[in-house]
Amino acid sequence: MRTLGRIALYAGLTIAAVTFIYPFLWMASSTFKPPFEVGTLALVPDRITFDNYRNMWARAPFGQALANSALVATTITVAVLVFGSMTAYAMARLRFRGRRALNAATMAVLLVPGQLTLIPLYTLIVQLGWIDSYAALIVPYLFNATSILMLRQFFLQIPQALIDSARMDGMGELRILFTIFWPLARPVLAIVAIFTFMGSWNEVLWPLLVVRDERLMTLPQLLTVFALGGGAGSLGVSLASAMVLVVPVVVAYVFLQRYFIESMAGAGIKG
Amino acid sequence: MPSVSFEHVFKRFDAVSVVEDFDLHVADGELLVLVGGSGSGKSTILRLLAGLEEVTAGTIRIDERDVTSLPPRQRDVAMVFQDYALYPHMTVHENLSLGLRLRKVPRAEIERRVRWVGGALGLEPLLNRRPKQLSGGQRQRVAMGRAMVREPLVFLFDEPLSNLDAGLRAQMRIEIGSLQRRLKTTTIYVTHDQVEAMTLGDRIVVLATGRIQQVGRPIELYRTPVNRFVAGFIGTPAMNFLEGRVEQKDGGSVFTAEGLRIGLPNDRIATVASSEPMTLGIRPENLAIVTGGPSPADAPGAGLRGRVLLVERLGGTSHIHIEVGPHRLMASVSNERLPEIGDRIELQVPPALVHLFGEDGRALLQTLSC
Repeated sequence: MRTLGRIALYAGLTIAAVTFIYPFLWMASSTFKPPFEVGTLALVPDRITFDNYRNMWARAPFGQALANSALVATTITVAVLVFGSMTAYAMARLRFRGRRALNAATMAVLLVPGQLTLIPLYTLIVQLGWIDSYAALIVPYLFNATSILMLRQFFLQIPQALIDSARMDGMGELRILFTIFWPLARPVLAIVAIFTFMGSWNEVLWPLLVVRDERLMTLPQLLTVFALGGGAGSLGVSLASAMVLVVPVVVAYVFLQRYFIESMAGAGIKG
Repeated sequence: MPSVSFEHVFKRFDAVSVVEDFDLHVADGELLVLVGGSGSGKSTILRLLAGLEEVTAGTIRIDERDVTSLPPRQRDVAMVFQDYALYPHMTVHENLSLGLRLRKVPRAEIERRVRWVGGALGLEPLLNRRPKQLSGGQRQRVAMGRAMVREPLVFLFDEPLSNLDAGLRAQMRIEIGSLQRRLKTTTIYVTHDQVEAMTLGDRIVVLATGRIQQVGRPIELYRTPVNRFVAGFIGTPAMNFLEGRVEQKDGGSVFTAEGLRIGLPNDRIATVASSEPMTLGIRPENLAIVTGGPSPADAPGAGLRGRVLLVERLGGTSHIHIEVGPHRLMASVSNERLPEIGDRIELQVPPALVHLFGEDGRALLQTLSC
């Protein structure tokens, strides 16, 4: 009875896993199929071809877009980690006038949907003359309220004696943050890094608003313009460009999945 | 070695006063113990000296230098924390050497000091381990080593032994004491444990509600507490207290409480207003169980008659809980001829060893020479 139950359980889990993984594998394999074969459901191509990737590269500046995306997402991720942890440290561990107001304001930012600030932010970027620039893509994302609050919550749990001890050892606040707090906060920093990187990497709407110059476009933006504008020409090329978009995120996930799963498990336990 | 001075130091957190007019001089090489219950302000005083808290008013000097507004790193003091506060992601070696590296001490000198501390505290085999891989006692040693390796002007200990079990605590107490005597570094040690205070301190400061109650050598505090708080705080088991009044009779003074009378030593009595409620204090180890015939009721050193409620056998000594009328007393006696529960016994109260406190808690009997 127990064995039967186990078999049923594993069968169910396998079906669920296949349901999730199949579309991704299909997309990956279809990028290597010739045009007439792309429509089939088979996962193994009869004949492997790199034409879809060659065509994609030839029709739009994907190399440049990839570099743009990497630059934008990396800069934003580093900035969110550095500035976010500095702000979180101050909010969690320093006593200063207005600390509560700052906490409340940061919390309030979470309640405002991004779409609501889109137009005012756009107007601001126009006023600053930043349309068609990296600044327009990067600067609005340098600070992130969710990350600050996540880091603050973690920093609050670090014992005060550790900070005192570091101060006695001769450290200033910045050094305490980067030599003591950062190594201890590695799991949280990894989570913040993954979410920030993924969020920035996948962002389409904002780049579409502020960048029109093809040379400055990010990968998802170029992809959207390319695919929706009919530039791809075929499903295989569209899928190849989607693959180029998704691979860095998958690679990042593979390297950081331990932290990722830990954070999910932690969130489950803490409710 | 430098001295430390607190000059009329006050500390308030918002409206709450934590340290009130703390005025004290700690001599070169002295081991001073700050002792008091929770909320007495003892740890705050240590943090004020370390520079981890700002004083509200007053001046702190180390070696005559005013350090009141200096940050911790410019004060050249080292602190051992209650929960060790070791950096969990660093090895023992890194924990020990970090303070020196930050001060740009030459590498060879850092190695020399780390080896010296490792040898002195038995840490050599542990230098490459992380705090998680150490026992409580080993972590405590690393925490001490981290303070020692800096060769600071002043050592601060903030309840360093309170997380250790009883056996280890006693062992570490001895080690700290001998280490301090060897290094002769001016040391301020905070504890709530009066046994630690008595055994370690050259002098003890008893604190309550942010104020100094008494400063003195351990034996002075034990023999001549200046108030009821100190009398109750210093000494294990704690002093017995009886509430009553003092009456004059036949030219002598007698302490009377419901159901008992105790003669007082006339030669030690200061001015006593007889109508005022008083508290008589007698240490459990100063009560003796009398085996001879009963003495006259109010003669000096007269016996108290009572019934044994409980006998706690501790091995070398025993604690006898006795009911005397409505009062309960404890006597700490040697194990010879112990009474049984329910026995009626007589206790002798040596007049020379009683303490008397006024309504405000102040000691009323003149100081005995120690």
